[in-house]
Amino acid sequence: MAPLIHRVAALALVLATACVPARAQDGPITEESIKAAFLYKFPGFVDWPSPALERSDEPVVIGVYGSDDVGAELLSLSATRKGGRPLVVKSVRNTEGLKDTHVLFIGAKERSRAPEMIRAAQHAGVLTVTDWDGALRMGSVINFVTTPDGRVRFEISLEPAEKSRLRLSSRLLAVAQQVHSVRP
Amino acid sequence: MRPTIRRAAPVVAAALASALATAPSFGAVQMVRADLADLSLEQLSNVVVTSVSRREERLADAPASIYVITSQEIRASGATTLPEALRLAPNLDVARADAVQYAISARGFNNVLANKMLVLIDGRTVYTPLFSGVFWEAQDVLLRDVERIEVISGPGGTLWGANAMNGVINVITKSARDTQGLDVSIGSGNRETSGGARFGGAFAGGYYRFYAKSADRSNSENAAGSDIRDSSQLMQAGFRADWDDAQRTFTIQADAYDGSVDQIGPSREISGANALVRYARKLSDGGRLHVQAYYDRTDRFHPNTFKETLETADLELQHAFKVGMHQLVWGGGYRRSRDEIDNYPSQAFLPDRKTLAWTNLFVQDQLSLGSQVDLTIGLKAEHNTYSGQEWLPSARLAWRPANDRLAWAALSRAIRAPSRIDRDYYQPGQPPYAITGNETFESEVANVAELGYRATLTPSLSYSATAFYSDYDKLRSVGPGNGALILRNDLEGTEYGIEAWGRWQVVPSFALSGGFVAMHQKIELAPGTVDFGGRAALGNDPDGWMKLRAAWTVTRDIDLDVFLRYYAARPNPAVPSYTAVDARVAWRVTPAFELSLALQNLFDDKHAEWGVDPARPVFQRSAFFKATWRP
Repeated sequence: MAPLIHRVAALALVLATACVPARAQDGPITEESIKAAFLYKFPGFVDWPSPALERSDEPVVIGVYGSDDVGAELLSLSATRKGGRPLVVKSVRNTEGLKDTHVLFIGAKERSRAPEMIRAAQHAGVLTVTDWDGALRMGSVINFVTTPDGRVRFEISLEPAEKSRLRLSSRLLAVAQQVHSVRP
Repeated sequence: MRPTIRRAAPVVAAALASALATAPSFGAVQMVRADLADLSLEQLSNVVVTSVSRREERLADAPASIYVITSQEIRASGATTLPEALRLAPNLDVARADAVQYAISARGFNNVLANKMLVLIDGRTVYTPLFSGVFWEAQDVLLRDVERIEVISGPGGTLWGANAMNGVINVITKSARDTQGLDVSIGSGNRETSGGARFGGAFAGGYYRFYAKSADRSNSENAAGSDIRDSSQLMQAGFRADWDDAQRTFTIQADAYDGSVDQIGPSREISGANALVRYARKLSDGGRLHVQAYYDRTDRFHPNTFKETLETADLELQHAFKVGMHQLVWGGGYRRSRDEIDNYPSQAFLPDRKTLAWTNLFVQDQLSLGSQVDLTIGLKAEHNTYSGQEWLPSARLAWRPANDRLAWAALSRAIRAPSRIDRDYYQPGQPPYAITGNETFESEVANVAELGYRATLTPSLSYSATAFYSDYDKLRSVGPGNGALILRNDLEGTEYGIEAWGRWQVVPSFALSGGFVAMHQKIELAPGTVDFGGRAALGNDPDGWMKLRAAWTVTRDIDLDVFLRYYAARPNPAVPSYTAVDARVAWRVTPAFELSLALQNLFDDKHAEWGVDPARPVFQRSAFFKATWRP
């Protein structure tokens, strides 16, 4: 009995490994990989004002500003995920890059230049997602918070979302660590 | 030592993970990054970053029968009390004895004085040394601030100590960081009017919250429609503050409550207060340290029966670290309680003042045997005032053939240490006694074997199943001794059963979850002994129960939740089987304002859950309308 179990287990492991082609997909789970997964999921819980994303095959465009690591994780996700709405990841360097973008992720290292980007994104109906304590005060809609025990959570500010005419689903709000109805 | 698995206290998570427990060993069963995008938002929120420790510490990895009630489930249930929220756990038998009293236990032996469960609220033990059970009417929290409730069925003695014989209930409130701002709820219905408010803010580099709540519940009725005098008024307030950074967390919290519950004769009065501090930090060698201390005072007055003042102080320490293939956790704790009891002619606890002390030391080693198998062995040595030294060993084997598949087996020895009632109970309150104390009453013992399997088949479909076999010895009986009747240890027995549950997210807006327990118990007298009613007092258990829940997000702003439970009949006293359905509909008028209507016993079946006919209450349809404002 035991050898058979071992063989089955070994087989399962081989299959699991065999089905995972991309290099970036093994290895430890980093904060960046969890944030990328959240960014990948968020569009499913947000309605953009029409005509954005009306067709189901229209790709979601996620712009990344100031975080190469999250960008790399997202790229690897966009390359390996099958089914559902396609994902396009692009690097954003200035407000020009916000055109035709649905989600903008701003890494903490660009926090000093973030207010301008956030204002422009809000104006362009782009969902801004940020990565540092106090970012909601700058007008960001979703902000990641890493808890002391190593979980990645997020907080939401509804006022800027309403200004951008973005509708956030109640499920998204329910999972949020905190929801602010006005900018904190 | 009773580790409380809190998000803000990583060391305890480590303890559980390696203990009850076990985090996956290196590499083998780590969730790979490709899986992350398959997880739901909720699951993603619970993934622990592994880049530092290189291992995950998800509760789901623990090789034990654990069900976690989430804050979302509590909200969706419309529960207004802790016992009602506990109904959500498929592995718990929750029977309502009247408007505020409950019988709650896992794996049988359920009773309003159920004494084989350990119950913790934020790391504070809430069972009373009077009878090792819980006065549920006095245990309250602001449910909206609860992060989760972990319900472990099966012995947890090696980590949690004597009394975690059949299970552990671990209520964990959110960090003050996660409860910022104002949150107000007010509700009213045909059985209850209640409300609560919380305010949280930032302070001195950390976060705090204050809360207060109050509930006024009306009498229940018996089958004939007459009032049972069990109405109550309860108030509670408290605060919590948390300071944390990447390395350390510091928590300080306190609660105080006061209430009155009607009964035949003058009403019983309950009040109490507690304060707790907890400090946890990561050590430079990757280890973790956790220190916690609390003080608790409870006052309880049952007119013409007893009046009790109980003070408890508790200190515990834990250290987790890694050496080669070994993941070690060790720790110790000291608890001291002092009570003063005013006795009445009907019964007495003698001596009427008693100081009890519990000291414990434990060590646990999680050894990785190859890439897929972990062996966790642990031993707790606990000393108590009544029965002296007790040994609580356990061994757990975890096999993870693939990601999110876990097969486990466990052998444990657990005990229930004697409490005041076992040793010091006299009836009537003065000689000649019909029931007299017994200073030789020993600990009840359980030797338990468990086999479990848990799998997440797809991100939307998961299940867990556990089979258990328990051998009980020295269970409490009533027999002759000291020239009267005494409580003795002459009952023994076996119990086996299965408990299983699962969850299926059918479509993103609709989820089904449910579970059942089926068990069989055989209790016998030790050869050459007699029992006068001890067996019936051990518990009154059904052969099984089943719970089913449906959660439907009807539209973006409307949720509908339905909860169905079926209980088989209880034998002695006979309580017929019953099926009850609860439903709740919630409407988020604006993101900050929600209205909800919770209906209990939708089909108005007037069912009884506990007690002797015709005096016992029957529960019929009740409605509770609530408004919640979170600006």
